[in-house]
Amino acid sequence: MTDKNVLIIGGGVAGLSAALELARLGLRVDLVEKSDFPGGHAIQFACKAADKCVKCGACAAEEKLRDAVQHPNIRLLTGAQVENLSKNNGRFSASVQKKPAYIDPQKCTDCGLCFDKCPSGAILRGFSKSHSPFYSLCEEKCLYIKDKSCRVCEAVCPESALRLDKSSESYPCEPDAVIVAAGFTPFSPENKPYGYKIFKNVITNLELERMLRLESRAVRPSDNAEPKKIAFVQCVGSRDAQLGHVWCSKICCGSALRMARVIKTRQPETEITFFYMDVQTFGKDFKVFYESVQKDIRMIRAIPGDIFKTGDEGLRVTFLDPPSHETIEEIFDMVVLSIAITPCNDSKSLAELTGLDIADSGFFDIAESKSGQGIFTAGTAQGPMSIAESIASAGEAAWKTMKYLEVRSEK
Amino acid sequence: MTQKTLIIGNGRCACETIEALLAGGSEIIVASKEMPPFSFPLTDLQARQIEMLTGAKTFSCRGAAGNFDIIFVKDGEKIYRSVQNIIIAEDATRKANFSLYGLKPGSHVISLSAMMKSISYQTDKSLNFSETKKAVFLTGLREESHPVILEEIMQACFRLQSEFQIRTYMLTKNLKVAGKGLESLYKKTRAAGMTYIKFTETMPEIRQESNGKVVIEFLDEISGERFRLMPDLTVADETILPCEETANLSEIFRLDRDREGFLQSDNVHRISVFTNRKGILAADGSRGIQSPAEQLTDAANAAVYSFGPAADLSENLEDRAVIQRDKCVRCLTCYRVCPYRAIILNARPYVVPEACERCGICAAECPRGAIEIRHLNNADISEQIVKAENAAPGGDKFIPFLVAFSCRRSAAQAAELASQMRHPLPKGLHIIEVPCAGSISHSHLFSALNHADGVLLLTCHEGNCHSESGNLRAQKRAAQRTEILSMTGFEKERILVKTLASNMGKEFVETTSQFEEKIMALGPSKLRN
Repeated sequence: MTDKNVLIIGGGVAGLSAALELARLGLRVDLVEKSDFPGGHAIQFACKAADKCVKCGACAAEEKLRDAVQHPNIRLLTGAQVENLSKNNGRFSASVQKKPAYIDPQKCTDCGLCFDKCPSGAILRGFSKSHSPFYSLCEEKCLYIKDKSCRVCEAVCPESALRLDKSSESYPCEPDAVIVAAGFTPFSPENKPYGYKIFKNVITNLELERMLRLESRAVRPSDNAEPKKIAFVQCVGSRDAQLGHVWCSKICCGSALRMARVIKTRQPETEITFFYMDVQTFGKDFKVFYESVQKDIRMIRAIPGDIFKTGDEGLRVTFLDPPSHETIEEIFDMVVLSIAITPCNDSKSLAELTGLDIADSGFFDIAESKSGQGIFTAGTAQGPMSIAESIASAGEAAWKTMKYLEVRSEK
Repeated sequence: MTQKTLIIGNGRCACETIEALLAGGSEIIVASKEMPPFSFPLTDLQARQIEMLTGAKTFSCRGAAGNFDIIFVKDGEKIYRSVQNIIIAEDATRKANFSLYGLKPGSHVISLSAMMKSISYQTDKSLNFSETKKAVFLTGLREESHPVILEEIMQACFRLQSEFQIRTYMLTKNLKVAGKGLESLYKKTRAAGMTYIKFTETMPEIRQESNGKVVIEFLDEISGERFRLMPDLTVADETILPCEETANLSEIFRLDRDREGFLQSDNVHRISVFTNRKGILAADGSRGIQSPAEQLTDAANAAVYSFGPAADLSENLEDRAVIQRDKCVRCLTCYRVCPYRAIILNARPYVVPEACERCGICAAECPRGAIEIRHLNNADISEQIVKAENAAPGGDKFIPFLVAFSCRRSAAQAAELASQMRHPLPKGLHIIEVPCAGSISHSHLFSALNHADGVLLLTCHEGNCHSESGNLRAQKRAAQRTEILSMTGFEKERILVKTLASNMGKEFVETTSQFEEKIMALGPSKLRN
């Protein structure tokens, strides 16, 4: 149908979905993903079905990744970044820098010996069955890369799939259009008075997603015991004018309440409290879900002020009780912070690379998009979005790309 | 061959879709009540690409993906057309929530749409705000509001405050700011003087006087004080619903609907504009509640998905369902149960391969066993089971031989994830990957029970089945089989239905290991031959 090439920056839900659409229509796609494990944040999310599917979309991320890695028109470059991008005679020229392929995907059998034996925790494990190889080497933690003092992983690998003296690779590409789907960076709640990274049992919603995916249950990080009382704190870094975050992150109410419900189903003894400002609508079934969730979960319309640790790793949470107008202190076993979706760390450098504009919020400005120049955006690079919205946004970016490339329906 | 696409609707999304498809070179037919308000002049070339059936009503649709035969009725005459794709993109309608607040509309009580119309620049001003000093907007007090509604209210209030110097108040439970730019619009309206009153534990008392004016008394939950508001104008919010024609279209095109009646079931497999039928897309107000920005997104999605060959039209079609003529007695069970409406009726039922998703529901439901699907027939499955049984670990110690029918979209992938995570699976576990749990027939279950000590049916979660009801059908069949067998003294525990998702590796291990333990305690099955 066409011999056009598209470069997509970011291999999360939006990038994968856009790649699949373009590939289906016969275009060739170079999909560049910074991390070793494509699929974005969503590939670490847990299924939140309690008795029924609650439409969180985590399985959709799984499906997109599976389809994309199998598609012959998509070249997926992980651990890679676009180094430079220029345009000549309507065609872009870019070079993609890919980190050394320490683990040979053809040879690796996912036995996990390297993961078990690495003394510095430098071997990382993937999240999805579509992560191949299922393990990767973290350069920051690797002792060989630091001072050449360790080659344990090479020695234990029964397939000789691991080679530490590999060098990075450079891939030239000449795309006709570019889609920036770089995603978001989760808000770091260290500066909030909630003791994150100081108290073991204060975790983020993303960490809870991962925990539920791996363990299928909620456990206290301090002692691996099942918490009896969990508090969810919403809007941590969202709707926060002091931080300049004048946006609702959109997905956290749905994510937190769905996780709360699945915990309540699997661990019915757990008491769950939900601290919030406003409960946001999510999904077609919101009315029914919201009604039923209010029966299982204690909803308090207040955002806690401080969190202190008790002697036994408990967490004393202070908040203004709305009906009584009194400050109340209550002890929880675990606190989950619903952290904001904030602009991607790389957005400035990507803006420089692509010439895209950045809005006041810090997300890419789509009103001022460079449609005429063949550069488009998709997904949470534009602002907070659910998985479903990211997929739709990718469809839109794919369409704009087709239109720009003047691909017509005659076959 | 150029694709021909039918577009039903004349709203903003429909117009955008038309424009997009024209630009892409598609031929299109537009069926709508009124002429769509195009924002662009049609060129001669485009005029040749497009056929307007204004005022035509869709009457019937036959056929399936790749070739739909549609009959329209216009001025009593029938019009016959064939298209490859169909896009339904009607505007949603609004129902004003007067009765929810105990109000009657009048000069002092209006709907949000009436307010938006009166402040829009295009239409003549039907309302005069000169007498209005105070306006109250009610939203989400009885039923939850929606970001689309909140956005309109905030836009209206901002203009009333800044252009007409009217004091505006909004009473609500949850402020629905989960939309693009809404939190900053909220800040802007607050700065312009708009007052927001939120309710959690209490509710305002709303009363309409005989002169039509409204009195609202409430307890301010923050200060704990009681207030009374006597606005000159009260604006009731609205519930967004599918348009009147939707029910009819759902029947004509045999499309599933969601709880509210929109033409897209609440199923993640329908993201973004898909329906239960290949080749038929639902966009904008036909699929749900969409913001103005989302209308454009939907238009682009509708365009991209109806562009070029459908996702798997070019796929290998030899493994689709085939009805054996000599066995079929035309009971039409298959026609009724096919979730994708891939079976059409001519002299006899026929499976359109392009529309078949190979879920196997028809084959499992056919009372005559007249439908065959390659690799999924009873002989195939039973051969697989026997092979696995022979290869199963033997020895003196009892190792239960377990057959786990696993949906390829969920449980089969969870099994792969589990082994990648190096979780040990039961030694005697044999996984049979099926395209959908709905394909697990009584005969399949029977074969499995003849050879295994325990049989698992691992399906997608309810509401997550790509074929909508395959998981429920599997559940039902397992229950029937268990009941019949239990009369012969068979232990019910040997059949287990569980729902799983593709990312539930850990749960896959837990489910199968616990099942193994249970079967271990029961000992070998008496049904094994």
